[in-house]
Amino acid sequence: MVTTNPGGPAAPHRDDREVMRDEAVMRPRILAALAQGPLTVPESAAALGAPAHETVFWVMAMRRYGWLAEIKGSESDGYFQYQPTGRTV
Amino acid sequence: MTAMNYDVLVVGAGIGGMESALKLGDMGYKVLLVEKEASVGGKMILLSKVFPTLDCASCISTPKMASTIHHPNITALTYARVDGIRRSPDGAFHATVTKKARHVDIDACTGCQKCETACTVAVPDEFNADLVARRAAHITFPQAVPKKAVISREGSSPCSFACPAGIQAHGYVSLIRSGLNEQAYRLVLDATPLVGTLGRACYAPCEGECTRGSLEGTLPIRRLKRYASDAHEASGNGTGIEIAAPNGKRVAIVGSGPTGLTAAWQLARLGYSVRILEAAPVAGGFLRLGIPSYRLPEAVVERDIDNVRELGVEIETGVTVRDLPALKAQGFDAVLVATGTHKSQGLGVPGEDRLGVLGGTDFLRSVKLGHAPNLTGKRVVVVGGGNVAMDTARTARRLGAASVTVAYRRGRDEMPAHHVEAADAEKEGVGFALQVAPVEVTGDAAGAVNGLRCQRMRLGAADASGRGRPEPIPGSEHVIACDVIVAAIGMRPDTSAFGTQLATDQGGRLVADATSRQTALSYVFAAGDAVHGPTDITRAVGEGRRAAHMINRWLTGGMLAGFDDRLPVVDKAAVLARQKAYALRPGTPDGSTLEAAPADFRELEAPLTDAEATAGASRCIDCGVCSECNECVAACPVDGCIDLRARDESFEAQVGAVVVSTGFKLFPADLKPEYGWGRFRNVITGMQMDRLLAPTRPFNTILRPGDGKLPERIAYILCTGSRDEQVGNPLCSRFCCMYSVKQNQLLMGALPLADVTVHYMDIRAPGKRYDEFYEQAKSMGANYIKGRVADISETPTGDLVLTYEDIENGGGVVKAEYDLVVLAVGVQPNHDAEQLFEVGELAPDAWGWVGEPEEDLNPGATSIPGVFVAGAASGAKDIADSILHAGAAVAQVAAHLETAKTGAGKVTVPA
Repeated sequence: MVTTNPGGPAAPHRDDREVMRDEAVMRPRILAALAQGPLTVPESAAALGAPAHETVFWVMAMRRYGWLAEIKGSESDGYFQYQPTGRTV
Repeated sequence: MTAMNYDVLVVGAGIGGMESALKLGDMGYKVLLVEKEASVGGKMILLSKVFPTLDCASCISTPKMASTIHHPNITALTYARVDGIRRSPDGAFHATVTKKARHVDIDACTGCQKCETACTVAVPDEFNADLVARRAAHITFPQAVPKKAVISREGSSPCSFACPAGIQAHGYVSLIRSGLNEQAYRLVLDATPLVGTLGRACYAPCEGECTRGSLEGTLPIRRLKRYASDAHEASGNGTGIEIAAPNGKRVAIVGSGPTGLTAAWQLARLGYSVRILEAAPVAGGFLRLGIPSYRLPEAVVERDIDNVRELGVEIETGVTVRDLPALKAQGFDAVLVATGTHKSQGLGVPGEDRLGVLGGTDFLRSVKLGHAPNLTGKRVVVVGGGNVAMDTARTARRLGAASVTVAYRRGRDEMPAHHVEAADAEKEGVGFALQVAPVEVTGDAAGAVNGLRCQRMRLGAADASGRGRPEPIPGSEHVIACDVIVAAIGMRPDTSAFGTQLATDQGGRLVADATSRQTALSYVFAAGDAVHGPTDITRAVGEGRRAAHMINRWLTGGMLAGFDDRLPVVDKAAVLARQKAYALRPGTPDGSTLEAAPADFRELEAPLTDAEATAGASRCIDCGVCSECNECVAACPVDGCIDLRARDESFEAQVGAVVVSTGFKLFPADLKPEYGWGRFRNVITGMQMDRLLAPTRPFNTILRPGDGKLPERIAYILCTGSRDEQVGNPLCSRFCCMYSVKQNQLLMGALPLADVTVHYMDIRAPGKRYDEFYEQAKSMGANYIKGRVADISETPTGDLVLTYEDIENGGGVVKAEYDLVVLAVGVQPNHDAEQLFEVGELAPDAWGWVGEPEEDLNPGATSIPGVFVAGAASGAKDIADSILHAGAAVAQVAAHLETAKTGAGKVTVPA
């Protein structure tokens, strides 16, 4: 993937706005990964083959809008596990 | 524009503005408070707690916010802006105020957030310092006052704006991106029953306007529509379209092409009894009889027509209408004539009546009706350069013609045919004889065609169409040997059946009103190609929608207007400027499979796969922000609450005084590149940390944005953008030290195992109990290191290595590693205030803040008599000082207004 900056120097990573837009298409993939069992953000990122910082955006937006939730007390090595809430549409 | 009078205009409803408005309101002054955001509260409501009391910011803000909104003497306008303020000679101020369209009825909205949950567009949430996404439809934050939704809508997206059919292309793209294929289908269905048809055969003006086209290429918008249609077909679902109860009125529609079918669809949904009368033996008009099956299979058209039939619309075929008054007499309340342009235009050269000379539309029609001429082994010349010519040529190839040559009087670039059609024709073996014009059809003794005599042309000066005018080259005549000639040089309407009942123009087109499509016979409307001449399907669909709208207006006694209510199109440059960079993504592969010698009429274009559709839709950059997918409208429990076509409204307010309380802007941390904000995900600003600490935080707890980890080693860098000549700000921002100390304490409470280190130059804690607050943080375990941080680097795990000077421990350069770094960013002037007045009128101070010429003795007074400044608009202030300063401004306002009442000290303003 080439990152371009029209009229300016090359950017180091994808623009946040662009990453956030991808939540819609990443959502089913994240839910599919979580269907196998709870995952942390880095584990979800590994399952998606996506950067962890982008996965944070998707997981937190999905959390905000009720698609998934953290498991209370699940933190291990500093990471919470997340699981689906059952929201389907 | 209406004018309204108030005593005072307060611009900005942060803590300074609210305090000013409340106190002035309490004094009995009528206050107009204008806030640009959708809620009052400013920055304070976004904070976790306040220092040094550690009171919950929300808890102490929200009562003041509610009081502000509900105060009987305050008219509070949120999501509004002041466009400008001018003084009149009598010293009064005249402010132009614009209430931005929220697209939500603020009185009807219940704040349920169902629109937000349903919305399909994600954008950065500025109220969470961009740490998480919000939706285009949203409530600004949970404690918003008023707690009403607002829909971020910056105009029409170019794709949707470009669609002559009025279909929300952005909307269905956004729905498909969200996996809501059935909803995407229904969104198109709301405009026209011809979803599958348009998904295959429209020329996609939306794609021509797609902003993504200036990056790696346009989205496959048309094919996405087909994808939605195919998904619906595969699902076996019904249309799910709601129909109004029968209204007892009848409409006859003459012609069953895209205009007639769309009009019937719209009128039937409104409760009209609709009958379509079609002269041809099958319904569909040009869709069924003009467009070859390899582009648009009959089954697709039939399915779309079935949508119309499902609404109860009767379609009679083989009926030629000749007597319009008779329809009226039969009980039809209105008639729409939408008979299209089916008549082929002749060549107008000698010999065109020879055996073997056909009209383009006649030829296509005969093929579609199963009466294809035998072209096997024959040499065919198609005259013309439009889409019908291309369809004719490619159809002839499929009928076994030995050769097919398109003869056109201009060059390839000037052809009116869609360039893809011409290119595909060429790939299928069609030849082109360019810049030639027919002068005679030659034939044998039996009267059959044996050639087309042509003259070569050259292109002269541009004509009215902008293309070079073809001019004959003397002595260049030659004959193209052929057996069949198809004249595809134009189409025109055949309105002869109506005789003199309807007026026609010189081209034989029906004459109708340009807006209403009403004819001289008031109950007869005419629309589509019969009025405009040959166009395309999307325009024809748009015509059908317009005609239905106007007929409904006419039959219900309304004004014949109001059809096109699109918002202005967004500026593409502004859209692209929203992002610093774009990741280029692969375009969608062309789905057509072309053969050099096609032998059948199988559909050429393959449907998008699920993966292609998702990838294609995901390239959309949401130009208008709101996509008009209408999911919010469907989810809203209050009918009519959401109006995506709402417009901004402006009015003028006359006031006696103005309070500028526009606050400050945070220092953009990327102006200190050595600290890596924007590059290193785990470097955040103080405001971002306040959001992470707030009860309404974006994450479930304090997590670092780079990977969702609970941070254990947290560093602060004070004076980021303050007291820094390198960034042009020598001033102290006054509250960064204290908000950092506050956050230190909150962090140590929330993350008991975390180590908090603060890199500072010196701690400025001058307020009451501030120094004690600082000492308290130290006693809780916060580590304060005196010395500047020179640089931050990032490890592969996202940890951050700080290089800093440790002044109090030998002064050496030290490196330390942290999980998370917080930049205690300072503040900058908000120059919005200056824009309210004439250039230079509201004088700034030496650092760009709103100037107070007599700050020591006359705080709150500005360079303009009658204009006062409250809170942090005049310089960095913490909450307590902002409130105090607002009090001073209020006193100044009261003195000014009372003085003005008595006439003492009256201000004279030069005219």
